[in-house]
This record gives sequence, structure tokens and C-alpha cells, in this order.
Amino acid sequence: MVFIVTALMLEASPLIEYYNLKKDMNINNYQVYKNEDITLIISGVGKIKAAMAAVYILSNFKCKKEDILVNIGFCGANSLKYNLGELIIINKIKDIDSGKDYYPDVYFGKNIKKETLCCSSKPIFKGDYIDDNNILIDMESAGIMEAGQKFLYVHNTVILKIISDFLNPKNLDKEILKGYIKNNISLIDEIIYELKSLNDLLKNPFDKEEKIVNILCENLNFTEAMKKMLFKEVKKAKLKGLQPVNILNEFCNMEVKIKKEGKRVFEQIMEKLK
Amino acid sequence: MSRLWKNSNKYFFDSIYIEESALNYTITKNIMEKYNTSNFIIIKHYKDVFNRTNQNFIIQKQNQSLILAVKSKPFIYKGPDVCQNFGYSNFYYTSFLLNCIFDCEYCYLQGMYPSSNIVAFVNIEDFKSEIKDITSRETSFLAASYDTDLIAFHSIIPYMDYFYDFFKDYLNLLVEVRTKSANDIFYKTHKPMDNLIIAFTLSPNDVIKKYERYTPSLDARIKALKTALSQGFKVRICLDPIFIGEDVSFYYEPFYNYLFSQINPEDILDVGYGFFRMSKDFFKRIEKTRPDSLLFCEDYSLKDGILSYPDDLQKKVMENHFEILTKYIDRNKIFSL
Repeated sequence: MVFIVTALMLEASPLIEYYNLKKDMNINNYQVYKNEDITLIISGVGKIKAAMAAVYILSNFKCKKEDILVNIGFCGANSLKYNLGELIIINKIKDIDSGKDYYPDVYFGKNIKKETLCCSSKPIFKGDYIDDNNILIDMESAGIMEAGQKFLYVHNTVILKIISDFLNPKNLDKEILKGYIKNNISLIDEIIYELKSLNDLLKNPFDKEEKIVNILCENLNFTEAMKKMLFKEVKKAKLKGLQPVNILNEFCNMEVKIKKEGKRVFEQIMEKLK
Repeated sequence: MSRLWKNSNKYFFDSIYIEESALNYTITKNIMEKYNTSNFIIIKHYKDVFNRTNQNFIIQKQNQSLILAVKSKPFIYKGPDVCQNFGYSNFYYTSFLLNCIFDCEYCYLQGMYPSSNIVAFVNIEDFKSEIKDITSRETSFLAASYDTDLIAFHSIIPYMDYFYDFFKDYLNLLVEVRTKSANDIFYKTHKPMDNLIIAFTLSPNDVIKKYERYTPSLDARIKALKTALSQGFKVRICLDPIFIGEDVSFYYEPFYNYLFSQINPEDILDVGYGFFRMSKDFFKRIEKTRPDSLLFCEDYSLKDGILSYPDDLQKKVMENHFEILTKYIDRNKIFSL
């Protein structure tokens, strides 16, 4: 599953449209939109709200470590070396308030600019004291990182920022801002695709076998220790090029009434797997 | 090697992290010059990146980053019991690098570190000073390339160049540099020294293909070994780890015969011999990160916290192997645990 967090509806609406996401009417606390493999939540502005929303969807939708959390949103820049509407991948986040740094792994978007981002709990305007000449500022990224690192593999928490202004965030045209997101949607989609492919490497190669072992252990009243031993033997058999599923299927409809009988069947299966 | 930059001899790193305190060191400056188009990220401390929770070793191994850092004490450690000391009671090891560019399935580093990114320490003078302090009292054996492969890393950071004069002048120290690399630049550009041993880890080619991803073939290693010998370097052969199993055991006899048809056993200093073994804790961690490894699915015997083949099986296989090996090399020149 890909989880997307945006601070504003303005940032979310082009994504909702592109991925054809439908509002989840069972959720009242947040606005959540989803399809089969993407869930998007609108967090509100600020790192605490971002962290809360991220934790909410990651927990509510029972995330796995292989799932992906993407923060997509606007940031301000104090340097004209960036272009308005340009997409930047973030490889370091400095939390201005706590002094803590975060380092997302960036294994995608080879040709897209990668930069450090500062995260502030309040808006920063041009002229405010900033000790770095080339600085990007947002208000959510540190919260997203804090939440993501608790639940997911580090390479699966991703911060994508689009330059909305040069630290003069007042009176911005909403349509122009939406246009910035729309213009970058194909890049965002490519990044999500790259991340999904990367995580394909982590797919459980014994998914099918695990399911059958679970059914079998349930039917035959095997203990947890027996289940562990059986699964290990099944894995070994598969890695040696055998077809353990066929062997397990032979026993799937069997039922046992007494413990002793279960033990005997267990030994039979183990013998067949060797 | 599959991870070289296109049209260049530079190894590809996903990102290069640099500790603030490492910025002014020669190694850092050289790396920044060499990889001037890279993705440099300044960090406060290497552990902020290296020790993050929930890193995935397998994914990182395919997208390795380099971290340049300043190491703090200790710089050398007492040699562990699971490693051969080759008869030296003062056995130490040091790590200029954490992790390795190779990806051996059996490698204990996968269970030792939370990350597969490479940390390269840049404060070499601090290493020299502590090595000198600790080992000056009596003759010592120092394994300098145990948790990594310095020769394989030579074209990225030439640690052997930085330490060459130090090792050369410091005769109280016997240094072993263990390698699987086919890189022979070091042997061609440096004079041999009495207190430096180049230890080549060799395995049957089918074992290399099965377990030692990204490493050079047996013939490429033998070629480098021959270069080292022809230049006058002291050479050790490490037959370690040895695997036992119906799918691998039969590789060893032809391998030993082939090896000594290529190399004159008289030229070899000695041989280190050891079976696949690993601390139980590391094994358990790797078992989780490599679910598709048959090696980590097998049952082993546990003794003093170390998992390996049962003693009687080891004894039987070792006797059989030594019978072949002693046709070529004196029994006293073979060291095992």
C-alpha cells in the first residue's frame, strides 16, 4: 500500500483526480481518499498534525514495513536557483525547532534534484533570520519522518516538495499552485512506481506455503513449536527445489481427535518433506 | 563489477554522507574531488545515518552509500576466538572500514551492523597512534582487513597507501590483509615488506558463484595472488569458510588439486582453514533478513554461542581435506581453529 500525506486539499486534489481516489466515508476524523493500493490523508498544516495523520493511516490500515509513506506538498525557497513549481526530492531534513536531523534513503528519481529541507513549526518569511543561503522550508516533513521511521523500512518514507514561493507565501493563486502539482504528477507517479518495484524484492517468497502451514496446523491441532519446525522444513524443501505445497495439500483435509494422533501425522509430514 | 559507474572506473555510491568533523581530512577531500558530481550530504555523526532503526540490509546492499567519519577510541580490538591467530597470542584486529563492497551470503556483517552502507574512517593518524601504543610492548599480529576488504576498496580509498610507511617502519607488528579481490595495483606499485601478509580467501568456483556475490572468480583471484607472489609479497591462503553439504562437499577435492596445479605450494607462507561458523545472535538476525537463503535454513550445532557443523562431522571432513592438502603443503603450515 502507498500512503500519501498532504497538508492541504489544494495539494491533494490533483492526486485524488489522477489516481481516481474515492472518499472513505467510514472515517470522520480526517479526510481520507483511497483506491486499491493508494490511501491519501489530508493532515492540516504543521509537523504535529502531519505526524498524527501519518500515524493514523499507518495504524488504521495496518501497514507493513514494506508499505510506502509519501509526503507531497509545497515548500518555500530563499534562493532563485530553484524554479517555481520545481519538484525536489529531499535527502535530509533539519528540524529547526528541535535541532534533530533526519535522513531519508533516496533510491529513486535519479535525474531529479535532491536537497536538504528545513522544517519549521511556524511560517518563515523572507528576511527572517536564516543561516543558510540555499534553503528550502516546509512545515510537515519532520513529523512525517518521525512517524514513518516507527512503522516502515527507512527507504519507504519519502518527502517530495514542490517550490511554491520564495518565502513570501501570502496571496498565492490556488489554481497556479494546483497546476504545479498537476505538472509534476507523472514524475510523482514514476517515483511511486520505482518505490513499489524496489519493495518487490522484499516480498515473502513463502507466502503461499505459510498460508497452507497455518491451515494445516489449525486442523491438526499442532503446537506453536511444531508449526515453527514444520514451516522451517517447508522452506528448506522449497529452497531445495521440491514442491512442499503438494505434500502439505495431501494432509489439509485431515482432522485429528487426540494429541498422539496429531504427533504421528506431524512426523509423517516431516518425513515426507525431507 | 556491476556497480561501477558507466564509462568510468568509479564505484557507484547512492549517496556520500560526510561528518562535519571529517570535512578537513585528506581522505574526505580526495573523495569529494573524485566524486564531484555525487550526492554529498553533511551529517553530524555517522551513527545518525548508520544506526537508524528499520534499515533493510538487502535493499541497502543494492544501493550502497558511503559515509565518511571520524572514529573515536578504541581503534584496535583483541582478536576474537572464532578467528585464527596463526600462533600469535597478541592478536588484534582493526577496522578502517565498516562493511564491504562484496555481498557474501554467509557474511556475519549482515548480523553485526544495522546497515549495509559503508563507513570509511578518515582519521588515519589516530589509528596509527593507538596501534603503536598498544602493540609496541611485544610482537603482535594485526588483522587489518577482517570486517571488510581493503584491497577491493583500494581504488576508492587507498588505505594501504596511507598505512604503507607506518607498517614498513614498525617491524614489531605483523599485519595481515585479507582479500577476495582481483585488484593487483597495490602489489605492482609497492615493494613487499617482511611484516605484511596478503591473505587470499579462496573457494571452489561453484561456491563463489553460489555464495559470494560481486566477488571475482577463482581464476581472477589466483591471477592476483600470482602477481603478489611474483612481486615478492608474503602470501597466505585462507580456505575459510568451508561448507559441508551434499550440494557443495564434492567441489573441494578438485578445487584443492586445481589450486596447487596453479600455485607452487612452496611459495605460500601458510594456509588458514575454517568451517562456516557464526555467533547465534548474528545468525538469528540474518535468518530474518535472508528468508530465501538455504544456508540460514539448515540446522547447525551450537557450542559456546557459536553455530557451526557438528564436531564429529567437522573432524571427518577436515581429515579428508587435510589428506589432500598435505599432498601439497606441510601439515605444520595449515592453521585451523
